Amino acid sequence: MSIPRLSLVTFLPLAGAVLLIFLPKENKRGLYGVALAFTAVTFALSLPLLVDFDAATADPQFVERTNWLGFGLEYHVGLDGISLYLVLLTTLLMPLAILASWSYIRVRLKEYLFFMLLLETGIIGVFVSLNLFLFYVFWEAALIPMYFLIGIWGGKRRVYATTKFVLFTMAGSLLMLVAAFVLYAAYFRATGTYSFQIFDLYRLSLSPQLQTWLFLAFGLAFAIKVPMFPFHTWLPDAHVEAPTAGSVILAAVLLKMGAYGFLRFAIPLFPDAAARFAPILAVLALIGIIYGGLMALVQKDVKSLVAYSSVSHMGLIMLAIFAGTVAGVQGAIYQMLNHGLSTGMLFLCVGILYERAHTRLIKDFGGVAKQMPVFAAFFLVAVLSSAGLPGLNGFVGEILCLFGIFAANKVWAALAVTTVILAAAYLLWMFQRVMHGPIVNEKIRSFQDLNKRELFYLIPVVILMFWMGIFPGTFLRKMDASVNQYVNRLKNREKVFVARPIAPPLPAAGARAGRAK
Amino acid sequence: MSVFPALGPLIALTGGALVVLLADAFLKRENKNYLAYLSLAALVVTAGLGVRLWGRNAQAFDGMLRLDDVALFLSFLLLIATAFVILMGMGYIARQDMNDGEFYSLLLLALAGLLIMVSSGHLIVIFLGLETLSVSSYALAGLRRRDARSTEAAVKYFLIGSFAAAFIVFGLALLFGGAGTLEASDIAAAGANMHPLLALAGLALVLAGFAFKLGLVPFHMWQPDVYEGAPTPVSAFFIFGPKAAGFAVLLRLLLPYWQSGVKKEAVFAVLWAVAAASMILGSLVALRQRNLKRMLAYSSIANAGYMLIAVLAGDGTGLLFYLANYLFLGIGAFGALIALSRKGAEYTDLEDFAGIGSRYPWIGGLFTIFLVSLAGFPPTGGFLAKFYVFSTAVREGHVALVLIAVLSSLVSVFYYLRVVVYMYMREPERKIAVDFENPPLFLVLFLCVYGVLQLGLFPANVLALIRHAVSALF
Repeated sequence: MSIPRLSLVTFLPLAGAVLLIFLPKENKRGLYGVALAFTAVTFALSLPLLVDFDAATADPQFVERTNWLGFGLEYHVGLDGISLYLVLLTTLLMPLAILASWSYIRVRLKEYLFFMLLLETGIIGVFVSLNLFLFYVFWEAALIPMYFLIGIWGGKRRVYATTKFVLFTMAGSLLMLVAAFVLYAAYFRATGTYSFQIFDLYRLSLSPQLQTWLFLAFGLAFAIKVPMFPFHTWLPDAHVEAPTAGSVILAAVLLKMGAYGFLRFAIPLFPDAAARFAPILAVLALIGIIYGGLMALVQKDVKSLVAYSSVSHMGLIMLAIFAGTVAGVQGAIYQMLNHGLSTGMLFLCVGILYERAHTRLIKDFGGVAKQMPVFAAFFLVAVLSSAGLPGLNGFVGEILCLFGIFAANKVWAALAVTTVILAAAYLLWMFQRVMHGPIVNEKIRSFQDLNKRELFYLIPVVILMFWMGIFPGTFLRKMDASVNQYVNRLKNREKVFVARPIAPPLPAAGARAGRAK
Repeated sequence: MSVFPALGPLIALTGGALVVLLADAFLKRENKNYLAYLSLAALVVTAGLGVRLWGRNAQAFDGMLRLDDVALFLSFLLLIATAFVILMGMGYIARQDMNDGEFYSLLLLALAGLLIMVSSGHLIVIFLGLETLSVSSYALAGLRRRDARSTEAAVKYFLIGSFAAAFIVFGLALLFGGAGTLEASDIAAAGANMHPLLALAGLALVLAGFAFKLGLVPFHMWQPDVYEGAPTPVSAFFIFGPKAAGFAVLLRLLLPYWQSGVKKEAVFAVLWAVAAASMILGSLVALRQRNLKRMLAYSSIANAGYMLIAVLAGDGTGLLFYLANYLFLGIGAFGALIALSRKGAEYTDLEDFAGIGSRYPWIGGLFTIFLVSLAGFPPTGGFLAKFYVFSTAVREGHVALVLIAVLSSLVSVFYYLRVVVYMYMREPERKIAVDFENPPLFLVLFLCVYGVLQLGLFPANVLALIRHAVSALF
């Protein structure tokens, strides 16, 4: 038997979390050491997955499949070109986020690191699951650590923010759960066997009406997570109140779970309904792009500015997904990675500023670049990457997205371009007000430039930004096969099983329940 | 065939109860813990006698007492629950100035009533079991003699319980008059020849009586008061024991109806409404509670609604799995409340839990696991239990009911997590000291967490047992 590499990557952080319980809570270095070691080893173990990933095939690789609870509830994991990079993004950012917490988290460090590690297992699990049930388990399980991370270590309005975050997400995912039950029952009716395996479910042909309801339920869960306008209101609260590392993970990885959900479940499972709703969703995505951008322009707080920029950027990603072209989908996935890196880094930079100034209001800053020239350079790279400057990663993703959207609908593309303009406006204006100009606040004169630890977690991100901007091919080629298959699947909807409608709710069926095995 | 194998467990149990009662008179005050050990020994003997009957379908008294595997499985759950309650009570009783002997022996007698309820298909025998349970329960609720609320709980429970018993008896009389039998499996078939009004009235009265006992809306009003007033270990017993037995009876009584064709639509519609109302009302009113015992009482009303869905869908497997899981959740949650009680006082207000999470990480952590599981988050048993019940219900076509259930559990997420907010995210106003000198209580808490996680992650063995037991039911 070969080594279960994916499971190792998924559950290693969990092992670290369990180990943390038994360490003394006074030993700050020891706790950080363990957390960093486990996340770093997880990253090290995930890198060979990229090397060994076979770009020629669209089928999931590194597959592990064992029975778990029977009746289609299996442990079934694997990676394809869509999920590969999202897993790597998670494993890369986790150690960096933990490094960034060193001076920010002052109380209850042990619990903090425990939840961070738990969160990593939950997120990776979401991306590697090939079974809808398993996916849902991880999806919900990832919610709890984030709830605590915001609720305990967040800002002033943390309880409000975290409760809103959980309730919004749960509202969507519980409806998705009901839809999953309906799907499960429909599969059983069509084939006589139980399965939650997504490739089995892809082959299920559903009536248009049923598809509509199920698509709405799945779509709502994912749209809340992305978040798409008008379900975005939890995001600024959660982002602003979360601790730095929490914001980084939230923006960089957690939001991608929503977009990934559309790519993996909502659209391929219900292609007809998705095609029917695509124009409406595209309009919502466009509203998100423009509204997010405009809101970002008027924010007084740097962190909420970055939060609204996320709404805008995720709008572009969603629009590219709904365009449904190869370039669009590739661009969307690529842009997810870019957004993860650039927004993650922006939050890291804001965190660095906050640790020195204990404020995030733009008006309290000015002339920081004079005191912190090295930091200014890094911050500028993050800003430019997020604004899509050619040569950096953001440009490649945005241009691919826009190509894809243009091929599908020229009006959408014309409106979507505003994201680039708006991003440049709010980001550069913010950069100018914070970093340049006269020093208005005497406190700024005492600011120290980046220390070694901060350099250590910023440098890898910057290197990756340049690399992804200049040599995008190294990343894109591994996605080709999977994305092509995804787009083809949408075009020629080969459905094999025909589902009969669910029986009316009559107790006569009840008799079968006990016996049906 | 001798009746003794099938009667063995009950004989051991009631014998144990009597020995405990007797020993109480001869033991010195500082040696009262021996009563707990005696009671636990009685439970172990009962379980031992029961295990040997697994798969043998033992009977006594011409099938009046029938220990099929469903009965045995539920009996084991009830035995475990009672053992937990006894362990939780050991430290609590001394501090709350209660009489040991009465607590343990009444508990064992109540358990005997429960065992009779689950192991019979005959409604008169079930009623006998129910009355054994009820009389013991009234006394148990009032054991904290010096507390007015405890006395109020006992009186309220007694009055309402007597009402319910009268309903059931009257309903049984009507059913017997019409059908000529009180064997649960035959009533439905015999109902075909009955006057429809008689059949319906009889069944409705019996169901209303059981709805009282199970705390289903609109017969739920007593439940929060009783749970709040009764000693906390007794509340823990109430949250699981009567529910498990009551739903087992409902399943036995209603499954034949679902399978036959007689008058099921009306019964079904009424129960549908009861389930929906229980879930909605339980969740919404729980939102307003500041006292955790009352909150758990309302949440148990909502949970009874979920279990009724399983009955409606004819889903024996889902129901038994839900009950197995609810055993650990309900008792674990009340156990965490006991950890916060001290001599002569209980701390069960939301404010009392402020800051517990950081001052007592173990209690906070354990309680959090129970709450998160009650809210239905994976990977705990609470999620899987709901998953099985809801997915089967959807497969049987009850999508609307499941939607209501899901929305109700969304509301429940809010009030369960509010406790977590208080424990971890609020500063305490007054500091409550936790009594760590209570190893049996912590043993129970850890066993409950183990159960919740085991059922959430690796329930295959338990599920296999349940499926085996349920397959023999039909």
